[in-house]
Amino acid sequence: MTTAWFDEQNRMSPEELLSVSFPISRRGRRGYDEESVQEFLHAVHAQYVRVLNDRTSLWQEVQRLRRRIISGQPDGEANGVPAGEAEGHVHAVRVLSAAQVTADRYVADAQAYSSRLTEEARLRRDEIMQEAQRYSDMVMEEAHTRAREAAVTALNAAPTPQTYQQQQAARAELAYLRTYGDVYRAHLRAYTEGILRGIEDWERKESTFEEEAHGAPMAALPMPESNGNGASPPVSW
Amino acid sequence: MAATCTGVSVPRSHIWRLRRRGRREQLDVARLQKNFADVAAHGDEVPLFFYSDLFIRHPEVRDMFPISMEAQRGHLVDALVRIVSNVDSTADLTVFLEGLGRDHRKFGALADHYDAVGASLLATLQYFSGPSWTPDLQADWTAAYELIGSVMVGAARADEQLRPPWWRGTVVSHERRSFDVSVLHVQPEPALDYAAGQSVAIECPSRPRLWRYYSMANAPRRDGLLEFHIKLIDGGAVSMALTSQTAAGTEVRLGAPIGVLTLREPLPDRDLLLVAGSTGLAPLKAIADQLTMLPHPPSVHLFFGARRADGLYDLDSLEKMAAEHEWLTVTPVVLADPRFRGETGSLCDVVSRHGDWSGHDAYLAGPTQMVEETAARLAATGMAQDQIHIEDFGWSER
Repeated sequence: MTTAWFDEQNRMSPEELLSVSFPISRRGRRGYDEESVQEFLHAVHAQYVRVLNDRTSLWQEVQRLRRRIISGQPDGEANGVPAGEAEGHVHAVRVLSAAQVTADRYVADAQAYSSRLTEEARLRRDEIMQEAQRYSDMVMEEAHTRAREAAVTALNAAPTPQTYQQQQAARAELAYLRTYGDVYRAHLRAYTEGILRGIEDWERKESTFEEEAHGAPMAALPMPESNGNGASPPVSW
Repeated sequence: MAATCTGVSVPRSHIWRLRRRGRREQLDVARLQKNFADVAAHGDEVPLFFYSDLFIRHPEVRDMFPISMEAQRGHLVDALVRIVSNVDSTADLTVFLEGLGRDHRKFGALADHYDAVGASLLATLQYFSGPSWTPDLQADWTAAYELIGSVMVGAARADEQLRPPWWRGTVVSHERRSFDVSVLHVQPEPALDYAAGQSVAIECPSRPRLWRYYSMANAPRRDGLLEFHIKLIDGGAVSMALTSQTAAGTEVRLGAPIGVLTLREPLPDRDLLLVAGSTGLAPLKAIADQLTMLPHPPSVHLFFGARRADGLYDLDSLEKMAAEHEWLTVTPVVLADPRFRGETGSLCDVVSRHGDWSGHDAYLAGPTQMVEETAARLAATGMAQDQIHIEDFGWSER
């Protein structure tokens, strides 16, 4: 900014306000916190836009009143009801605009909610998968340990000729290990099936939620949705 | 993107003809731009007023737009800014407007709508200009809009001779391959002519008027079937509907195919490097598929990357393809997963570990960051810019 900041002839626009940059303060002396300055500028920008819009509405109002005076209508005749077709139209535009903004907000809320829901589902899936992995590692490790112990026992027992009793004992040990393995296998299967049921249940809930949400399409995302495999649609008039 | 649409164009002399008629002298570009800047300072109020004005005058037009108009208002302002700031570089502007005109066919825009839009645009500009609105400005804007409208309508008319406004697509199968990726097969009606690597906009019945671009994952087939890889984006309206609500029999709409990530004819005498991140695989798989139909395809090395092993949703199909064609090598890459037995690390690291690619043509697709990093890395190792091919999203993605 080389000229005066507020000059009636060449007013600064809200956009110019945002692009103002300040010189860096002298060494050894700390300037304002940049973020705070930016925050302030944004606040001023918003205020400025509002003032501009108010001014336009007021100008429209002045025009309306001027026309009314020229046409000789007594003041206050159209009590609260906009007089004339043009005013009626602007009034309708404002009503529709307000309705549209409300609809936009509803859609944005629904979208934010659905986004949060998917994020949580993703996290829960990761937790479930990790837990399942940990559990299966544990079971495998234990089975492995038992098998190793059994092998060592068998090996140690091998050189000495086996008595009938020893053979019986070894068979019993083998049977025990088999049963043990079966039990663990069943255990692991039940656990895995439980997890799968949990996932199916959760998918069912998800699709029910989807159907409920069916009637209310969500807003276009500001970002491309297809993740590099496409772009956001060029929809514009 | 507009520039890549094949064949159709309005004669470039269009704008010049108007100038010769002497109307150019009256059109004060600086005044127009100043007025637009003043109006645009009113922010979101401007497009809000414009659409409300349009819908009150022509309620039937409302049906062409989605429920939420938030993104729509942004698109309108962006397009207007682009038009007004380029108003004196006619060639660029014409290409942009022609693309816009063709693109609007799938929304159901007709020539009559252009007049309605023009009237509402004028009303909006007048409303926000307040006391600075003059008959001269009105004449300038009217002339400018006539020009814009006629280029768009002209391009749309020329396009009508070549293709329908949109294609009906029937979902033939839906496979959920992982937590967030689904593979759809869609039968278009009538047949859809496209180049391997291109994409189409898809609209599905539960999200009316919301279109999202997806690449075909196969080269054109005799039976016309299209394969799409859909990734669920958290909170993504269309991707969520496509991954969770479509089943065999669902009917969707498809827009005209676009995109420049295609093999150039004639094929250069170089081998190919394909680098795909996640569902960026789709266009590159289509390119590989196209090569299977050639008598002497070049050697192709395809890197397919995901964050974790379960993100390699299409590896089976790729490995089958590699087993059938000795010129194709597929290397799966996972960012970080201690259980994964293959290559781990970021795609661009793994690709550069695999040697010198400077003699190859590279095609990259996937998340923006991954594509940019890989392109930069390849360029740094001596690959010429014209050997690196990525999708140009042009004005449709900002």
